[in-house]
Amino acid sequence: MPAPAPHAMLPEVAHDEMAAQDFVATLRAHLASRVAPGVARIYEHRALPRFRAEHQRDPADRHEVRRLMSTDGYYQFWSALQRRSQEMMWESVIEPVERRHGELVERARRLAGETGCGSLRLDETLEIPRYHTAVDIHLQPGGYHSDFRADDVAAGAIYDTALPIYLGGALGARNDALGQILVGYLRARWPDIRPRRILDMGCAIGNCTLPWAEAFPDAEVHGIDVGAPVLRYAHARASALGMPVHFSQQNAEATDFADGSFDLVVSHIMLHETSAKALPRILAESHRLLAPGGLMLHLEIPRGDTPFEQFMFDWETYNNNETFAGYMTGLDLPALACRAGFQTEYCRIERGGMDMETGQKNYGDHEFTFPILVGEKPQAVSASARA
Amino acid sequence: MSDMPKSGNTAALPRVSKGKRPQYFADPATDKLLSMVVTLMSELSVTRDRLDSVERLLAHHGVLDQSEVEGYRPDAEAAAAREQRRAAATARIFRILDNELNETLGPDAPRTYEELAREFAADPSERR
Repeated sequence: MPAPAPHAMLPEVAHDEMAAQDFVATLRAHLASRVAPGVARIYEHRALPRFRAEHQRDPADRHEVRRLMSTDGYYQFWSALQRRSQEMMWESVIEPVERRHGELVERARRLAGETGCGSLRLDETLEIPRYHTAVDIHLQPGGYHSDFRADDVAAGAIYDTALPIYLGGALGARNDALGQILVGYLRARWPDIRPRRILDMGCAIGNCTLPWAEAFPDAEVHGIDVGAPVLRYAHARASALGMPVHFSQQNAEATDFADGSFDLVVSHIMLHETSAKALPRILAESHRLLAPGGLMLHLEIPRGDTPFEQFMFDWETYNNNETFAGYMTGLDLPALACRAGFQTEYCRIERGGMDMETGQKNYGDHEFTFPILVGEKPQAVSASARA
Repeated sequence: MSDMPKSGNTAALPRVSKGKRPQYFADPATDKLLSMVVTLMSELSVTRDRLDSVERLLAHHGVLDQSEVEGYRPDAEAAAAREQRRAAATARIFRILDNELNETLGPDAPRTYEELAREFAADPSERR
């Protein structure tokens, strides 16, 4: 596993703690490269023929594939091991964070105070949405939002330490690959764009926010999230790295920014962690916040094309507390964006790429690209000029 | 796992996530046992890494000092060797899954004992 680039907020990890984390990374690489591909072969050669013999047809959708596979012994082992690897990933990073908990909180206070750049605005009255509190998203105990002591940063430190283990370092030394992908996509498509104000929705520890501040040093960059501990960590982390970002605790469904505040509204694998009620509101809020000529870019996780692929991506829905992810399968996001205020000809799905080794891909062999929901808010033109 | 003293006043952080844990096997005991086996793998892996540190330090200095072991970090070569060993051990422990794939799909997929019994018991005169 490539070592993450150290920064002042990353918790030091003792010898045996590091060894435990290394083991989880090895386990996950084995599951992704050696066991998960077997699930596809077992489906094709064992489960599917059984289904065809019984029904004289192929499974109609991912739900039928799931019911079929849930009784398959090979799939049961992969699935149970994948679940256990996710649990052990969190356990292996919680240990060192807990041991240095007080020290990390102190360090964040010091960094935010002395060398702090950007700003941090928390809102104790903000109601944490039920899609965060009902279950702990992707099994992180306490989620993004739970405080375990005053001025807590533990959730952020845990998340930052876990990300390199999660995908075997594929997210880069700064855990910012998804931000870099989206910045790269924007630069390729709109080479001349010079956004003055940028908003990152659901920014968590700001790992994908920083590439925007880096790419556009003259822009004012904002990051919002509902979780206080991840935002405190994000501010301290950005300060440690000398990046001025303005973090505030807000729900992306309804922020306190004025209409037309931003030239760019972005998010990185955030939409699938919301709900059917929240999603249209977030898209409407994105539209409201964009200035004329502004751009909305929401990067999401692929959901597969065939029923089998969709079933594999859907594993997260039923086994990793990504309970809303399944709903996103086949969802017409551009249509939702249009209902939220964007004009049909100005919204679509495009794709942004990432180089991934086989050992890091969990669910598929094909080239790994992320769908990007693009929404453009055209420069204000008169109705007659448009007609 | 770590026996080091904890710094400062500590509040315990939760280890278990909120939400119902799925059951993967017909017998829930199998789920629990598999969890234990993988955790045991981790414990063994950690111990082996630690031993590796000790051995390398002993070779280097000829002296064993606890704080040196604690501070030891593998260089690129040692890290690669460890990764290889961990991957090999993981592959050994999960070989049983490869067996299942081979038995189902492999070119030499063995037939059932019933099939073999039928084959060996068949009258040779009826076969060409």
